[in-house]
Amino acid sequence: MAGMELLSDQGFRTDGRKPNELRRIRFKKGVFKQADGSAYLEQGNTKVLAAVYGPHEIRGSKGKALHDKLLINCQYSMATFSTQDRKRRPRGDRKSQEMTMHLKQTFNAVVLTELFPKVQLDIYVEVLQSDGGNYCASVNAATLALIDAGIPMKDYVIACSGSFVKDTPIVDINHLEESTAGAEIIVAVLPRFDQIVFIEMNSRLHEDHLSRVMDQVMNGCKDIFNILNQQVKDELCKKAAIDKLVDAG
Amino acid sequence: MADVDLSEPEKVYILHSVQENLREDGRGCEDFRHMEVETGLISNTNGSARVRLASTDVLVGIKVQLTPVDPKKPNVGRIEFFLDCSANATPAFEGRGGEGLASEITAMLTRSYSCFSAIDYTSLCLLPGQQCWLLYIDILLLECGGNLFDAVSIAVKAALFNLRIPNVTMTKDEGGIELDVSDDPFDFKRLDVSGAPVIVTVNKIGHQHVVDASEKEEACSLAKVMLGITEKGTVTAMKKEGSGSLDSESISEMIESAKNVGIELNKCLLNILKEEEAKIEEPVGFLR
Amino acid sequence: MQAGTSSGFAFCLFSATFLFLLSISTYSLDLNKFINMSVDIRLAKSRVVGLDVYHGDDPGNIVTPGDIITADTGFMRGHGTYMSEDCLHSSVAGMVERVNKLVSVRPLKTRYNGEIGDVVIGRIIEVSQKKWRVETHSRMDSILMLSSVNLPGGELRRRSEEDEKMMRNYLKEGDLISAEVQNVMSDGCLSLHTRSLKYGKLGQGTLVKVSPSLVLRRKTHFHNLPVGASIILGNNGYIWICPTEHVEAGETGGYETNLQPVSRSEREAIARLRNCVLALADQNVLLFDTSILYTFEASQKYAVKDILKPEVILEVVDLVQQRLELEGS
Repeated sequence: MAGMELLSDQGFRTDGRKPNELRRIRFKKGVFKQADGSAYLEQGNTKVLAAVYGPHEIRGSKGKALHDKLLINCQYSMATFSTQDRKRRPRGDRKSQEMTMHLKQTFNAVVLTELFPKVQLDIYVEVLQSDGGNYCASVNAATLALIDAGIPMKDYVIACSGSFVKDTPIVDINHLEESTAGAEIIVAVLPRFDQIVFIEMNSRLHEDHLSRVMDQVMNGCKDIFNILNQQVKDELCKKAAIDKLVDAG
Repeated sequence: MADVDLSEPEKVYILHSVQENLREDGRGCEDFRHMEVETGLISNTNGSARVRLASTDVLVGIKVQLTPVDPKKPNVGRIEFFLDCSANATPAFEGRGGEGLASEITAMLTRSYSCFSAIDYTSLCLLPGQQCWLLYIDILLLECGGNLFDAVSIAVKAALFNLRIPNVTMTKDEGGIELDVSDDPFDFKRLDVSGAPVIVTVNKIGHQHVVDASEKEEACSLAKVMLGITEKGTVTAMKKEGSGSLDSESISEMIESAKNVGIELNKCLLNILKEEEAKIEEPVGFLR
Repeated sequence: MQAGTSSGFAFCLFSATFLFLLSISTYSLDLNKFINMSVDIRLAKSRVVGLDVYHGDDPGNIVTPGDIITADTGFMRGHGTYMSEDCLHSSVAGMVERVNKLVSVRPLKTRYNGEIGDVVIGRIIEVSQKKWRVETHSRMDSILMLSSVNLPGGELRRRSEEDEKMMRNYLKEGDLISAEVQNVMSDGCLSLHTRSLKYGKLGQGTLVKVSPSLVLRRKTHFHNLPVGASIILGNNGYIWICPTEHVEAGETGGYETNLQPVSRSEREAIARLRNCVLALADQNVLLFDTSILYTFEASQKYAVKDILKPEVILEVVDLVQQRLELEGS
């Protein structure tokens, strides 16, 4: 890579991270009042909002209803100012349509859809600022929004990306690494069951390296899961403490 | 907008509340709900702001771009509004569902900013007759809790205040003039927003005029007048909306209310933005 | 021609009086404008927040989706759980509750899961053949059958064809009702009934929506609070606040509503109750008559509209929590 060292000789990446280090993750559940569930999530400079509506009656034609399970409806959209160069429209382009499909498949695998026949669930994702790993941040934010909405799920779904630079696997790649490094692997997993629900690889990677990158990315998913789960639990503990007051009183 | 379908007695209750000058949430007819403002929270943009007014949530990002001037107006820069109603606000906005509302709001914004004193359009022109700045003012509507127009206009003004336009050096070549946009994030100029208007919507409910109506109140209002008001109290645009009709007398009363509220809004906003500027804190964004 | 001139004259006269009136009205408006108007813009950065990080103990019954609740097979699977690999897992984030052999997990926030006997507030969204469809914040629209309501003119009346045609006169789209859950169908759809004098169409008042899990299950959900207003705490998270006399009028099962203006003092009490309920919900405190009354009392030193502000909410709710704690110990 001419002029651009993605991994320095000391083993640091362009933004100062070690190869197996994640970007800073910060999030908040319940940012909106009107949605049934919502979450805001930052992974480094990638910032995403997710909102969940439902389960509710099918909107529009009733023909869409599935008689034996929940209908999951997704929309992925990017703010026009989210990218370095302004986007002309927030959705409807090929990339966001593909992303919408991916989200739909991912969440169909994890939501306990058979519990809600004949109704619909909406998952909306809005990317506010994009710096690589949009799919990963979207999945993680939507998972939190589903938890906020109390939708029954088999497990969390956690997504993480990875690449391979200078014989070293790197995780949670940013926009620069996405656009200049070779291969990009994106994985979404159920962390407690070690199941992969989504996997995608762009560009080529030698077969021998694949398992090393995969291991690193799976570890990344575990780390993200621990961060999210810890904060979700803390919030619940806080709420339990408030409830105890009332029960006593 | 969420379809608020109220029962007859609920409407009567709201109508009487407004008449008594004691609205459903205890406010008087000319009270605004408190709002929160933050600027500079999207680092990809040249200027950004978020306004949350009760549960109405608006995010604005501005990007600047060099562009050839409009041959009819060779001495001024250009601005362009774009509004996206996010499906996060309500499922009704999914796909193209929010486009009607979006064009209504952008039309009103364009109208209020079309007057020449709104911002210094000439300062946006780099080379008269050739190159100028084009400001893409992109608005994202994230949640609807009534009074969208006002909230959007306040967020736009805050983002314009936050806007940092990179400085440009011009060098004369034999072929013409070469423009070089500075990469240094601290080499920028600001825009004077003292003339920028905010929109004040005055709703006619019963015989009273109400500002900052909630969604329920909007459902009871038959007619409303929207006005672009500057800090000095100048009216830059006006539009009446709704199915009801108004007599000219009540319109002038509504203008008077809007002016008073608008002056105060502009003043408050500018003060708070200056206060924010003095602080050196990381933006909190949606994390609080 | 003549008509034209006279109307022109009238217009001149009108505009003259109009200008005159305008100058008076602007003058008088200016006077109270500066007293009444309030605009309050603040920075998101400077908002006060409660404790963000929890430092207390883990109560031990907190689970998140995918957690194993028990490997013991002697338990029954309740809401918010699922079986996988012979273990009972949690499917939502919340608190584990055990009632005898039944294990369930209650999430913080959900759509309303109806149970027979619950009190709900709902809005009519459709009138169809022999039934009304009602929006109750559950995952499907609820059903109110014509046969499950008290019609005017006595308890034991046959429902005739005329009644079917009159359905929209009794309850029409947009109307609010209080009702009881009669039955939960297999797909989760609720059927309601209003066959008691305390249920029926709601008159003047204000509706507040909170998360259903914030409404504490109590023996009664109807309260005539000693502050000049009544409150119905629907199990579905819809809360109805209205003047007390209107509840009594409603108890006659009448479908005609009183549209007389509500007195100012009642209006103020209702507005204050509304803001108090929202303040409690904002801080995730369970809603029941005592917590609401305490908040009402704690908020007295503030004007009604100030209870919308975050710092006031924090202070008032904190006082309420201290008081509840004191009484509990």
